[in-house]
Amino acid sequence: MVVLNFTLSEEGVAVLHDALACMFKFSDDVCLEARKDKLTLTTLNLSKSAYICFSFAVNRFFSRYNFEGTPQYRDRFFCQLYIRSLLSIFRARPTSADQRERDTSIERCDVAIDDGVGRKSRLVARVSFRNGITASHSLPYEVKTPVHAKFNKDETQNRWVISSRTLRQLMDHFSPGIELLDINTDDDNRIVNFTCFTEKVQKRGVVNNEAVLKKPLHTNIAVEMDEFDDVEVENKLHIIISVKDFRAILQHAQMTSGALTASYSNPGRPMKLSYSTDGVLCEFVLMTVGEKDALVQKHKNPQKNAAKAPAQQLDSTSHRASSAASDNRSNPPPSTSRPTQSAIHARPRQPAFEIRPSPMPPPTTARSTGLFVDQTEEDEQWEPVNPDEEEEEDESGRLGWNNTNEPNPSSIRIGSYLSRQAEAQPEPPEGLVSGLEPTQRLDEVRRFGLFSD
Amino acid sequence: MEGHSAASGPPILRAVASSTRPLYQLLKAIHFTNKVYVEITENGLRFAADHARVMQGEPINALGDTFVSLTELQDLPSPAPREADADGDEDDEPPAVTFQVSLPAVLETLQIFGAADAAARQARADLDPYRSNLRNYRADAFSNQTLGMSGTCAISYAREGEPFSIVLDEAGVTTTCNLTTYIPEAPDDIPFDIEDISFKIITSARWLLDALAELAPTGPEKLTIAASKREPFLRLSSSGGPLGSSSVDFAKGRDLLETFSVGGRWVQTFKFDIIKSACEAMRIASKVSLRGDGQGVLSMQFMVEVEGSGPSFLDFRFVPYAVCDDDDEEEEEEDEEGESRRTEM
Repeated sequence: MVVLNFTLSEEGVAVLHDALACMFKFSDDVCLEARKDKLTLTTLNLSKSAYICFSFAVNRFFSRYNFEGTPQYRDRFFCQLYIRSLLSIFRARPTSADQRERDTSIERCDVAIDDGVGRKSRLVARVSFRNGITASHSLPYEVKTPVHAKFNKDETQNRWVISSRTLRQLMDHFSPGIELLDINTDDDNRIVNFTCFTEKVQKRGVVNNEAVLKKPLHTNIAVEMDEFDDVEVENKLHIIISVKDFRAILQHAQMTSGALTASYSNPGRPMKLSYSTDGVLCEFVLMTVGEKDALVQKHKNPQKNAAKAPAQQLDSTSHRASSAASDNRSNPPPSTSRPTQSAIHARPRQPAFEIRPSPMPPPTTARSTGLFVDQTEEDEQWEPVNPDEEEEEDESGRLGWNNTNEPNPSSIRIGSYLSRQAEAQPEPPEGLVSGLEPTQRLDEVRRFGLFSD
Repeated sequence: MEGHSAASGPPILRAVASSTRPLYQLLKAIHFTNKVYVEITENGLRFAADHARVMQGEPINALGDTFVSLTELQDLPSPAPREADADGDEDDEPPAVTFQVSLPAVLETLQIFGAADAAARQARADLDPYRSNLRNYRADAFSNQTLGMSGTCAISYAREGEPFSIVLDEAGVTTTCNLTTYIPEAPDDIPFDIEDISFKIITSARWLLDALAELAPTGPEKLTIAASKREPFLRLSSSGGPLGSSSVDFAKGRDLLETFSVGGRWVQTFKFDIIKSACEAMRIASKVSLRGDGQGVLSMQFMVEVEGSGPSFLDFRFVPYAVCDDDDEEEEEEDEEGESRRTEM
């Protein structure tokens, strides 16, 4: 039976096409989620560092919309489609210069999703052209639950609002090939700086093994705060995002008349960019670069190994000056419930900047008397063999999140993981309730992380 | 061979044109194979291309049109004696002279002085190491337009065994291209039964091209063409693609079809790529006449408006997939053939 049925006018098709074109820069698939009152298109990029969500309000965007719940899909229907197929369906057809006959523009587009037992699951789009030709496209889809990024609005203290067209003009000044964009504010001069740079290392110099950057160019654009509709940002806070994502977003944003709002908290925590136009709400959640430490992000996250992300090269091997970063770890999920981890990291190699007080040395250091290796001071042996090797494209240790709230253990240094557990131990109980007599001191075995108290 | 010993008998063919563009355009439309079969007849030149037995031919009328002068065609000197029938029958007319040449070579030579279309020009401009970055959208100082050069193109074929010669003369620079000719393999025309036409539809070539452009993105294998008296009058459906299936119909666009006469219902399936090879013809043509015969063969005849002369015709013929009645499977007999013919109107 027909689960979903809607009709778009010519403008609607154009808007939908623009949204899909923007999404196509991030990923190949889009997840369509339909409810009674709105239709949502979401996608996540390969390295899971950017989440895009377009919501179309039923009563304002569609000429006609009907959602029929089925036993299988009661409140919402979701499926995954290839963006490429949708782009070719919803594209604007070229019109000829000599319009002797009627033009080939779209008159309307009817989309229906046919699903059910015993029926082929298809999305059927009928495009009616003004000249009378009708094209009907039938696409198969995959049923897949959409993935949403969690973004906690309450956590964000920093935000600014600016016209997207103004921002788009700034992007013209950035040269191609740059990767990272640092946004920071300067309250004294009342300006917001947009600095872009790249940290991709082309080769290592012979003398001191210094990094020779591929593109040793910093471009800084200072925008007066008056240009912004609203600025509430902590002074001198640097937040760093990927230029490619930002550019793709602005390319789309400039077509809307609205103002773009950015909200974020601290480096390493996600940043949300949003704007809306007639019936369409566009939201982007981007991961920001966290703390920069040369050796931290050598850990290859197996999750990202599977997903090669060509553009997400946020290895900030050498550049530290621009970040008055806090001690955040390299794997910040969008969920908010990880304060404990960030507070008690044992980082023997401290970066140049440090806002949080260094954590107390773990208790095991005082007792490293025995046969077992001290976890914290011998961290080098846990490092990969060749820390200077050129990173492959699938290495994006900076950004990413997983659907669950659990920390991804493989991306966390083993030493700190275990020591964290050791620190978090409460005092061992004085006496045992019953049972065998202990043969070893509890303190001496806790450091192995066997007891997850 | 007769005429061989003669120092220089009159050539079989000598045709002069002022511009290579029309010829280039038409030949490009049948450029999906490497060897083109040339037939020189009294009425003109006929180029035929064959792909998996797809054939296109294109006769060029001698009197006027593309060629400013076409001389000495009438005296087709004696290929006749060589090919004389054993029984010595007199042919009603001298048999046509046929040979094969390499089509890409012909197209290349026609492009020697300036590409005949913008896309090829652009492609060549990209490769030019001396092209400047500035003003690269305009013709530079050394192009033909700027220098006001115009040239002539003379096609000649002396006699059998001699190369097919194209001489391009532009502002004093003469380029002579001698193309090797080959003995043609006997081509079989795809039979299209004019007596038994199931339907005939004439429409603008543009709609056909748009329809195929709608169907192409899913990467289909097969194209089904259905013509019927009632709605949907003409429907093209694609299937077998990895990304889904599509169909285009003219249900509401009945008046787009200028001529529409359908006997009964006619449905045939073709290989999509073969039909797609006619896209170039659709692009340059103004009108197309679609006809299907009782056997299922589809004929597409495109009318191309050539500047400076009358219309040319490109004739394509396609043989569909055969449907076995015994079992449900379709056999893939991909005999498809197209022919392009240019006649003077």
